[in-house]
Formats: sequence, C-alpha cells, structure tokens
Amino acid sequence: MILDLFRLSLRNIRHRGLRSWLTVIGILIGTAAVVALISIGQGLQRAISSRVEQIVGYNTILITSRGLNLGQRIRLDIEAIRAIPGVRNAVAVRTETAYVEGPGGKGFLAVLGYDPAMDEFVAEMNLTVSAGRALAGRGEVLLGSRTARALGAQVGDEVTIEGRKFQVVGILQALRAGGFATGGLSMADLLVIPLPELRELFPGPELVQYAVVRLSERADMAAVSERIRDHLRAVGERNASLTDFEDLTRNIQSVISGVQAFLAGIAGIALLVGGVGVMNTMYTAVLERTREIGILKAVGAKDTHVLLLFLFESGLMGLGGGALGLLIGFGVAWAATAIVSRVFQAQGAFSPVLSMALVLGALFFSFLVGAIAGIFPAYRAARLPPVDALRYE
Amino acid sequence: MSTALVELQGVTKIYRLGEVEVPALREVDLRVEPGDFLALMGPSGSGKSTLLHILGLLDRPSAGKVLWEGEDVTRLNGGRLAELRGRRIGFVFQMFNLVPNLTALENVELPLVFLGVSLRERRKRAEEALVRLGLGERLHHRPSQLSGGQQQRVALARALITDPALLIADEPTGNLDTTTGREILTIFSALNKQGRTIVLATHDPEAAEVAKARIRLRDGRIMGGTP
Ligand SMILES: Nc1ncnc2c1ncn2[C@@H]1O[C@H](COP(=O)(O)OP(=O)(O)OP(=O)(O)O)[C@@H](O)[C@H]1O
Ligand SMILES: [Mg+2]
Repeated sequence: MILDLFRLSLRNIRHRGLRSWLTVIGILIGTAAVVALISIGQGLQRAISSRVEQIVGYNTILITSRGLNLGQRIRLDIEAIRAIPGVRNAVAVRTETAYVEGPGGKGFLAVLGYDPAMDEFVAEMNLTVSAGRALAGRGEVLLGSRTARALGAQVGDEVTIEGRKFQVVGILQALRAGGFATGGLSMADLLVIPLPELRELFPGPELVQYAVVRLSERADMAAVSERIRDHLRAVGERNASLTDFEDLTRNIQSVISGVQAFLAGIAGIALLVGGVGVMNTMYTAVLERTREIGILKAVGAKDTHVLLLFLFESGLMGLGGGALGLLIGFGVAWAATAIVSRVFQAQGAFSPVLSMALVLGALFFSFLVGAIAGIFPAYRAARLPPVDALRYE
Repeated sequence: MSTALVELQGVTKIYRLGEVEVPALREVDLRVEPGDFLALMGPSGSGKSTLLHILGLLDRPSAGKVLWEGEDVTRLNGGRLAELRGRRIGFVFQMFNLVPNLTALENVELPLVFLGVSLRERRKRAEEALVRLGLGERLHHRPSQLSGGQQQRVALARALITDPALLIADEPTGNLDTTTGREILTIFSALNKQGRTIVLATHDPEAAEVAKARIRLRDGRIMGGTP
C-alpha cells in the first residue's frame, strides 16, 4: 500500500508538470551549489595530499630559513645531519651563481651541486635526462634545456664554469615543473655539476638554500627534529626553521575544510529556500485537492494515508531536485576545475571528487528538506474532516 | 427486534456559523434494515445530505447515537471510521467525485488500495466491475474524457468494488439528463433486487419512485414516510 501511495504521489507530481519543475529548481540549485563546492574542495584536498606525498612524502622534514624564504641561505653540514640516527637520507640544495661560457653564449647562471644522495628525490620529481646521460664523475656537467640553448651547447661540447672546463654529458628535461626542489629555479635554467667541484669553485663555509631530511620507516619525528635543531645550534645557525609535512598538509587541509564548510553552509541556505518553495507548492496542492482528499477519505483512506501521500509528494520533489542538482553540481565542478587547470597550465591539475558519502548525503538531505517542507501542509490535509473536504468547492 | 444495518437514535446536527447555530438535523430516528431501498426527499436545505453523511460515517452527530450493526460507532476514532467506510460503505455523489488524475480503472481500484489488496487482484476486480457496467471500452480514460453518465457509472463501480453492505447515493441523477438518469436508476433497482441495501437522497420523483420506501425531511426533521 505504501508503494501505491508512492505511485500516486509520483503521478500527482508529474501531473503538475511545469509547476513541479519550478518548485524543484530551488532545491536543485541549492544541492548543485553544495555538491559543486564540496566535490571541488575534496578534489583540492586530494590533489594537495598526493602532491605533497609526491614531492616530499610525509616522513620528511624540510629545513629552510625562517618563513620558507629560500633566498635566505642557511648554514648546515649535511653529512652531519645524515649521520643522525633515524635519518635515512638527507640532501642540501646549494646553488651558486657562476660565470659560464659555452660555444654559443655566456653569462651568469645558477649552478647546482649534485650529490648522489639526491637521486631518490630527482626520481620522484620525474626529471629525466632527455639527451646524453646522468653525471658519472668529475669534470662533467648537465645542462637544463633552456641553459643549453642559451649557451649554444650540446652533449659532447665543453663549457667553462668560473674558468674550469666541464664536459656536457646530458640535457635535463623536467617532465613536470618542479620549482620547489630547486629553490624556485626551474630545472631548465640550471647547470648541474658534482657537489665536490662546486665546493672547490666556491670555497668557504657551506651555505645552502634548504635541506630535505627523510626519515627511516620507524623513526620518531620529534626526536629527529630535536637532533637537527641541536646540530643547527652547534653550527651557529639561528635563522633556520623545520617544517614537517604532516603538519603542513594538515594545516592546509583544515583551512580548505573550513572555507569549504563555510561556502557549503551558504549554499545550504539556498537549499532551505528551496524547501520554502516546496512548502508553498504543497499548501497550494492541499487547497486545490481538498475535494480529492474528501474522496480518498470517503473510500477508506485514513489520516495517515493522506499524510503519507503528501509527504511522499514533497519528499519526492526534494529528492528529484536533489538528484538533478547532484548531477548538475558535479558537472559544474568538472567544468570549473577543467577551466582552472587549463588557465593555470596544469600546475597541479586536479579534478573534483564525488564521494559516496557526498552522493548519499546530497540525496538524503534534499529528500529531508522536501519532506520537512511537506510536514505542515500534509498534516493539514490529513486532518481535514471528510465532509468539509467533500463539500469544498 | 432484529439488529438494523444502521440505526440513528435522536441524531441532531448543528452547524455553527460564527454566532449563529444552524440546525441541520433535529432528533432524527432512523433504521436502515438489510435489503432496504430508501429514498430521502425534501426541499433544498432540509438536511438530506447531512443525514447521508452521518449514515455513511463521514460526519459525527452533535447529539444522539449512530449504531452500525448494533455497535455504537458515535465515538469511534477517525481511523476506525475510515476502515468501516472502506469496507462496508459505498458512496455515489451528485458531482461524481472521481479523482481527476486517475483513469477510470484506477478510480475504481482506489478503495481496494486502502484495504491493501494487491495490484493484480485490484486490476482484475476493477476491470470486471467496469465491464459489468458497460465501460469495458473506457478503462483508461480520465474523468474529463468521459460523459456525465459514464462518470457516474465509474463512480458506481468504485462504490461497489468492495461489495459494501450499504450503498449511499446523494442525488446521483442530479447532474444527468433524464435518459442517462434513468439508466443509473435502473442499475440501482437491479442492485437492490440482488439484495444490496441502498439509501439515496433525491429531488427527482422518478428516482424516489424506484425506491421501496420514501422518507420526507423538512427543516431537519423526518415528516413521515410513504411506503
Ligand atoms: N458545513 C456547513 N456549515 C454550515 N451549515 C451547513 C453546512 N453544511 C450544511 N449546512 C446547512 O445545513 C442544512 C442542511 O444542509 P444539507 O446539505 O443537508 O441539505 P440538503 O437537504 O442536502 O439540501 P440540497 O437538496 O440542496 O442538497 C442547510 O441549512 C445548510 O445550509
Ligand atoms: Mg444535499
């Protein structure tokens, strides 16, 4: 019988045609807005997590000057940090500006000191050597693709860095822009020579842009951080700060969640306004169908049957609006992220996430808003005395 | 004395319109025995419809008692009354009162929906009822696509689908032309011959003639019957 009431409700909604559509629009817009915002937010969070994971990993500590200012150099001994128990690997990024001469050009360019410990990170950054090979020994240099063009150099050529000759063994190709790992410089603009030779060319205390410390599986982040701070104090570096990425991502995520909840809350108000539309339609429907309610009661419908009939009707309108809003909202989210990704040149392209919880939540909530909006009208319909309803003109 | 199908004892109905009290029925006593065919007559406003509504458990008296098969139903709750209406009573109205959104077939099925009869069974019984009343070709038409006489036959099929103990008709021919009205009346008298208990209200002498007994109302009082 419940099913029959459902069918009757559906029939009445269809019968109202355009008016049902207009009623549902409020719910539709509300749901669409909520779904779009949440799915974009979730997509963003997922993108950030995976990007952080990709670049540094969670078991990673970043040592920079305070405020993540990569222009400000810090003093540290990377070998000493690598020796701290619990540290699996540590690399320091040090670049120096050097006077470079090539076969077809010259100028001041950034030179990065390569340390075999960096291999792990380089692999994660999707860097490849597009021509030639990687560094294997002294006297060798890798050129970023733009640098190679500027110097007019190719694999096999010779370039002079601060008066010392180096053999070009390969050209670097960044598959994805990875400004972070090189301290804001694109790989395409660098020269890479072995770290010992960089040290020889630029003697004196070692100052680095930043260092990345990766912990072994079971290491205690807090303990290792403390040892690193001890080391920094020991070498007289007061301006360095440590960032651990669990913290960082958690902070970013909670900011996104907060903004998202705020926006979704505002969008939720649209949903409530949609509910008022449903309520209005249902009151009208009860008035228009007063006589019909009398008929139903005359042929044996109880108050609860009439109540359910109207509740289903408003609930179904809510659900229908919600389902359409869900599709449209997700569509909008897709379009929006596609446009954003295109405009920002795929620097961290991301797509919206439509989680099961979001789907069910959106459907449930829109149904609930519809049903709640229908409670008063439905109750009024149910309580109509049969004779009054039948006599109603 | 055997138990009546319905019995009204001193039933009074007063409508309140603001300060004014409108007495529609005054201390009415009435017995409807199984197999009866009663015609309620009387001028407009004399209380015929009101009496039918109370007989059919659509309304409650202001004073007095209503007995259904000996049981006092005056204070029964709305749900129980709805159930009794659904199972035991069929209504036919002057305005046909079909649900406009539903087809003839669905209208006839309606009382069975609230009795929880399965769709298949409902369809079958409703179809048979409509075919019996000569509407086999109109099963899927909506009320607006049917003539007055056809609509009234659909309403009659709906009233009879539950095989009710009492058929109540309020001016069933009031909105029909003479010929169509006569057709409906013929059906009524045939139903009564098969044992169906009928109470109808009418202005139409021809309709009153078909009934087995006539009861006259004036100003909410029974003025006497003509056998
Ligand atoms: N809901 C109501 N509120 C107030 N007065 C009412 C109501 N229903 C009926 N009445 C009054 O009760 C009296 C009896 O009405 P009822 O409809 O029973 O008369 P009737 O004999 O059926 O008349 P008709 O032949 O015109 O159908 C009338 O005076 C009518 O105005
Ligand atoms: Mg009347």
